[in-house]
Amino acid sequence: MDLKDIKNRAENEISLAQDFNQLKEIEKKYLGKKGELTQVLRSLKDLSVDEKKNIGKESNILKNVLQELVNNKNFKEESKKDFFDVTIPSQKIKIGHLHPLTLVRREIEDIFERLGFKVVEGTEVETEYYNFDALNIPKDHPARDMWDTFWLKGKKGLLRTHTSPAQVHYMEKNSPPLSIIVPGRVFRYEATDASHEVNFYQVEGLMVDENINAANFKAIIEKFFEMFFNTPAKIRLRPSFFPFTEPSFEVDLQCFICKGKGCSTCSKRGWLEMGGAGMVHPNVFKYAKLDHKKWQGFAFGFGLDRLAMMKYKIDDIRLLYSSDIRFLEQF
Amino acid sequence: MKFSYNFLQSFFDKKLPNPNKLGDLLTLHIFEIETINKVKNDYVLDIDITPNRAADCLSHYGIAREISAITGLNLKEIKLKIKEQDIGKSINIEVKDPSECPRYTSRIIMDVKVGESPKYIKDRLISCGLEPINNIVDAANYVMLEMGQPMHVFDFDKVDQIIVRKANGEVIEGLDDKKYELDSTILVIADSEKPIAIAGIKGGKDTGVSKGTTTVLLEAANFNPLSIRKTSRKLNLKTDASFRYEHGYDPNLTEISVNRLAELIVEVAGGKVSKLIDKYPKKRTPLKIKFDEKQLEKLLGVKIKKPLDILKSLGMKVEGNMITVPTSRPDITSNVDLIEEIGRIYGYFNLESKLPMTYLQPTIRDEKLVWASKVKDILKLAGFTETYNYSFVTKDEKGVGLENSFSEDMYGLRKSLLTNLIKVAEKNSKYAKDICLFEIGKVFGKEKLMLSAIIVGKDKFFELKGVIDLILKGIGITDNIYIDKGYKQAEIKIGGLSIGIVGEMKKNIYAFEIDFEKLVKLASDENEYLPISKYPAAIRDLSILVSLDTRVSDVMNEIYEHSKLIIDVDLFDIFEKEDEKSFAFHIKYQSNSKTLESSEIDLIQKNIINGLESQGFIVRK
Repeated sequence: MDLKDIKNRAENEISLAQDFNQLKEIEKKYLGKKGELTQVLRSLKDLSVDEKKNIGKESNILKNVLQELVNNKNFKEESKKDFFDVTIPSQKIKIGHLHPLTLVRREIEDIFERLGFKVVEGTEVETEYYNFDALNIPKDHPARDMWDTFWLKGKKGLLRTHTSPAQVHYMEKNSPPLSIIVPGRVFRYEATDASHEVNFYQVEGLMVDENINAANFKAIIEKFFEMFFNTPAKIRLRPSFFPFTEPSFEVDLQCFICKGKGCSTCSKRGWLEMGGAGMVHPNVFKYAKLDHKKWQGFAFGFGLDRLAMMKYKIDDIRLLYSSDIRFLEQF
Repeated sequence: MKFSYNFLQSFFDKKLPNPNKLGDLLTLHIFEIETINKVKNDYVLDIDITPNRAADCLSHYGIAREISAITGLNLKEIKLKIKEQDIGKSINIEVKDPSECPRYTSRIIMDVKVGESPKYIKDRLISCGLEPINNIVDAANYVMLEMGQPMHVFDFDKVDQIIVRKANGEVIEGLDDKKYELDSTILVIADSEKPIAIAGIKGGKDTGVSKGTTTVLLEAANFNPLSIRKTSRKLNLKTDASFRYEHGYDPNLTEISVNRLAELIVEVAGGKVSKLIDKYPKKRTPLKIKFDEKQLEKLLGVKIKKPLDILKSLGMKVEGNMITVPTSRPDITSNVDLIEEIGRIYGYFNLESKLPMTYLQPTIRDEKLVWASKVKDILKLAGFTETYNYSFVTKDEKGVGLENSFSEDMYGLRKSLLTNLIKVAEKNSKYAKDICLFEIGKVFGKEKLMLSAIIVGKDKFFELKGVIDLILKGIGITDNIYIDKGYKQAEIKIGGLSIGIVGEMKKNIYAFEIDFEKLVKLASDENEYLPISKYPAAIRDLSILVSLDTRVSDVMNEIYEHSKLIIDVDLFDIFEKEDEKSFAFHIKYQSNSKTLESSEIDLIQKNIINGLESQGFIVRK
């Protein structure tokens, strides 16, 4: 009857026990009715008073220690009856899907609203005056060739080729300071392919006050891309030409995949072309009947489809207008 | 346009940056580079020239001037060496209308020897995508690439005089072997008999340079851009020359170009050069602009050092703050144009971001957008998937007419969203079940925003009606009713105003279309709380037999009429037999002021039964 021996063996076995049943066996072996430690306690009656006292005390301490070790293992009895398989596939809850362009558009609207821009809408059918003349694109000027246009029968109107007409409409009715964005569908009469569609979406931006400058534009657009792509954004402006802005910029975003080193996403350029922008041309203020000597500001136009395609890695713009449910249900 | 790197290098003594570096510099300071390709021992830079710079940058010299401004490398001065003399030959040149042809500049060169061009000219032409022909024609093309000015060379012996006039229905065979009919709007270069060139667009075959040519007549002219544009469109003929003239060229470019061509022809084909013949009645003079430096800083948001040096480097004359803009830069007409020049040479990429200082204004969103967004969310939660369909419909579907239709499939503009929505629903049915789609988009005729949804399946009318109720309730509208409009078709009305239709559009295709603009005017997010009654509600069931053409709404209205204590009538069963049908209702009674006695409810219930029976309905007891 070596308590030390019992202690060592029991502790060792308990620590090695792998499941509830094994542990139960061990518990029974030492602490059960016929268990080794129980035998020790039972045999006390045959011993002397001193021995009774000493061994009895030690045995009881050991019993408690072992019982605690068993309890600490915290194994639970498994029951076949209560078996519950949580890996069975989820029940399908029927829900619809919003179009990726809607999702991206919402995000853009939210971001610009947080930056203090008001969201307004224009019409898809425009007059030649607002789509071209008032944007400083004269009739019979080669610059007009930059926009292939759909004309309504009898040339009574056209399908807007950009969201820019909204600039003039808005400035005719509202005085600066103003900051707006205008998302909407635009049209181009050109052959379709993976990156061109006859109808697509743009988001126009306009901010006008007495001192809104190009550096302000850079800051605003940097903030926008930072918030849209959730990563620090680096913007590069370079020269471009639009009749309704002077100076005009091309807006490049440093490729957020390769950080400018050059990868397949940016076709090894390190930069992604995001859209056009510039400082509102004095003639546009004149057409909108605003004092071009007092007011200045920036305007920009980005392709919403392109932003959606970048965000969701969609490689063909035509998918957006395919209404294929196998595509749409992924959003 | 394609540019030869070696050609560009020829304007500089010092070495240019390597082609890729040069491409990057041009991209950052002026134009985007489409491609850079190695061609034999040269590099070809395909540069995307913007329309505002067509007048000076569709030329190697123009790009070289830009490179000089960007890099600070000195541009070689053009020094022409021509020995002009009286060669005993002359020609009469007459311009009928100088507004159509502001300048016509010419020289005659005799005793030329037509042959092959030297290698450097051929190489550069090939780099720029032109085919070498013979030394005279090649020289003319070379000078166009160099200076931008379109050039033409006639065989002097085949031309008796030069008259710039309108055509009168004549036909000309061009250098491209094609025949062109020339009506009276078209400007031509003619001799005493017939047109010998379509002005600014194409030379005639008969008077062109051939192997036997010994004396040539050089033409460097300037034409009215609008006139060239119209003719080019009318004849559907675009050439290097017409493209340049369309953009408005500098009449002061003709003289230096014709001199350069004379010099080059003597170099490659020999000959003696005549004196200059120049018809230039109204000289174009350079524009002067007062430069306002304050606006530069105000507009760009940066202080740029020595802005006037930048203007000088671009060939402008600076006297104090008075800037003389060369006539080769018609794009510069005001201070902001000067600011652009300074800004881009400084480099917009150098701008530092500064958040604007402006007034804080509340950003109220357009109501239409707010409601559209809300409706989209409701439809999504109801199991509908959003689509964006084309604004176009096929020829057979008779949309709003277009002047220039895209194709038979995209012929007119949609008058209803359903046209395309039905088609895509059918298409999707091939690979998916339980199709539920919607779209919010513009239709045409009178442009307006519409909302449409579609369900594919049997007997989906009431499900779709439920969806409409859900949407309307979601935007604060509960008083909508449905009016019969033919079999399985209904008109949706709110307070007497028709807002749309719902029904079976094709077999097993149910859809609705709602005028969203009307809906927005009725929408409201006001919702007033009604106190919850402290007293219990009581429910009684009622089942009646009616004829097959009885409307549920009529029966329900009749029930409601009997007491204000009826707070809900819920149809829970319809059973149709051959010649009659039965409706079963739960009728819910509740008061805000007391617990209703059983006897009180029994009395109302009895009145309802009497009322229904008096209308000829049979109440099942």
